[in-house]
Amino acid sequence: MANLSSLPPLRSPAKAGARRPAHGRFAGGAGDDGAGDGPPPSRGCRVGRVNGTLPLVLALLLGGAGALWAASPAMPTKRPAVPQRIVSINLCADQLVLALADRGQIAGLTKNATDTEMSGEAAKAQGIPLLSNSAEQILAIEPDLIIGMPASRSAALRALPSQSYPLIDLATANTLDEIHMSIRQTAAAVGHPDRGTRLIAQMEEELAGLPKPGNGRVAAYYQRRGYMTGTGTLIDDLMTRIGLVNLAGELGKPPLSQLSLEEMVAARPDFLIVESATDTVTDQGSEMLHHPALQDIPRISVPQAWTVCGSPAYTQAARSMAAQIAHIDGNRT
Amino acid sequence: MSRLALPRWSLIAALAALTLAAAIASLLFGSVDLSIARLIAAATGDGDMVARVILFDLRLPRTLLALAVGAMLGLAGAALQGYLRNPLAEPSVLGTSNAAALGGVAAIYFGLAELHPAVLPLLATGGALASLGLLFLLAGKAESPLTLILAGIAVGTLAVAGTSLALNLSPNPFAAMEIMTWLLGSLENRSFDHVWIALPCIAIGTAMLLWDGRALDALTLGEDAAQALGTDLRRTRMRLLIGTAIGVGGAVAVAGAIGFVGLIVPHLIRPLTDRSPSAILLPSAIGGAALLTLADLGVRMVPTTNELKLGVVTAFLGVPVFLIHLMRERRIW
Repeated sequence: MANLSSLPPLRSPAKAGARRPAHGRFAGGAGDDGAGDGPPPSRGCRVGRVNGTLPLVLALLLGGAGALWAASPAMPTKRPAVPQRIVSINLCADQLVLALADRGQIAGLTKNATDTEMSGEAAKAQGIPLLSNSAEQILAIEPDLIIGMPASRSAALRALPSQSYPLIDLATANTLDEIHMSIRQTAAAVGHPDRGTRLIAQMEEELAGLPKPGNGRVAAYYQRRGYMTGTGTLIDDLMTRIGLVNLAGELGKPPLSQLSLEEMVAARPDFLIVESATDTVTDQGSEMLHHPALQDIPRISVPQAWTVCGSPAYTQAARSMAAQIAHIDGNRT
Repeated sequence: MSRLALPRWSLIAALAALTLAAAIASLLFGSVDLSIARLIAAATGDGDMVARVILFDLRLPRTLLALAVGAMLGLAGAALQGYLRNPLAEPSVLGTSNAAALGGVAAIYFGLAELHPAVLPLLATGGALASLGLLFLLAGKAESPLTLILAGIAVGTLAVAGTSLALNLSPNPFAAMEIMTWLLGSLENRSFDHVWIALPCIAIGTAMLLWDGRALDALTLGEDAAQALGTDLRRTRMRLLIGTAIGVGGAVAVAGAIGFVGLIVPHLIRPLTDRSPSAILLPSAIGGAALLTLADLGVRMVPTTNELKLGVVTAFLGVPVFLIHLMRERRIW
């Protein structure tokens, strides 16, 4: 029962069975979900040919799961061990699912999942259906696991007839520890806890020898239209890790504040950290980051894909930032 | 009213003094408090870096643009009101500014502006010219002043819709914010690059519009009388069309569609003159420069979390003028 994926003949009837509750509004207990009377006759026939114990296992599995879904949707412990139609409804969850689940397990990701500027795992997402966060699409897929950040607050899910899918609510990860927690949580949910442990160990290893070239110098993470990222954020955690001090903290600004060009010039940070997407001027919002008044402040450019979510790309971001500081210092001397 | 009429030179001198005061205030105040002594030191070349950058790279281009754009809009309003003999004619009411914004948006968001610095003002001018052409086609010969305003509303609405559509079609996830800037106008974070884009266009536009003062005076007697007096109507119209399009196009390309300056200023100036169209051209240009510089100063001084858009301030000033005229019209009905 534990490892469904090792029993290929079971998978399609399992789908057929699981599809039924949605049509029948979860009337099903074990008996109803039995393989014999499933609506698609071909699938029913296939199950019929398998030996006698399998339908029973199947019935127990689906019936038990079905009843649980109806009763307490968010209970992670009683789901089928390895979900086969995972839907992610959040960009950050996309990245974790892609890193930890098998490709075949993933039934849907958000529409930005293949955007290389926004997701560090975009390459892996090619070919997986992208959903536009509509209740209809989720309904049609009938996921056996929905991962969001948090999933339970999604408007699309609220629109569904009954909140009847197992949900995983990930918390926003703003520190390395919180990223590790999300990885563990996701890995367990998708049925591969060992992968999570391995990924965390790998991240720890990559960060172990990281220098702190910042030396207490002040940096500002300056975004389009003058938004500055403050303390308590992932960016702040990254800055601290490589020895930089966040200007927003020095100025006592909230996690997201707006700082005019004048104020930035007056504050004179040692570094500006910018998203690499704003390296070229594409609109008025990014144009301001290229204002001549800022040209004397050295820049560290980091792809948004690494920093917008707490994800395994954290280590890449930290290493890249440290290397860029070392490069800037090298050019000065 | 005529007792209010001042000798022409004293009116111009008073307006110039007001404009100068506004410009100096615009250099003195910003989001960072800099003492006057520090600014003077920076201006004379031996100040600190921060003050110098703030004064020369941030406040000076912004002030120059406010003066130039304001002058252009004020003058365009005065010339259009004179030529069309319609007190409500001005670039934003007639849709010219919005059409120029559409051209600017197309240039920036589809990457055309990167090809050559002249593309942005060219497309903005093209947009303005197209809208004026369409307007004259729709309502050029109409007797009622309302027909022209209605045609202007139609043209302007089309341009606004086109701008929103262009931004929605462009691969820019920050479109909403950008639309607001383009449609309400802003001089935030402008640099000398923008000054060099706008100034040549505005200089050409201003020269072409100031040319026609006497023709506009003759037109107050009606088109036939003006022709009898030796006015070449076709040439006058061409100069007016092209001058407005180039000037407003250049202004909008860097500042967005700032509304109502061209409406308010001639109405404020007119009672102080002999009310002939030629007499209000130059004073309207100077008055427009003063008004927009003061409005831009207001935008910086009002403590809002996001900087106020210029169009918001000018609309608050301009709508009452519009309403007063509406009430007068109703009395005539």
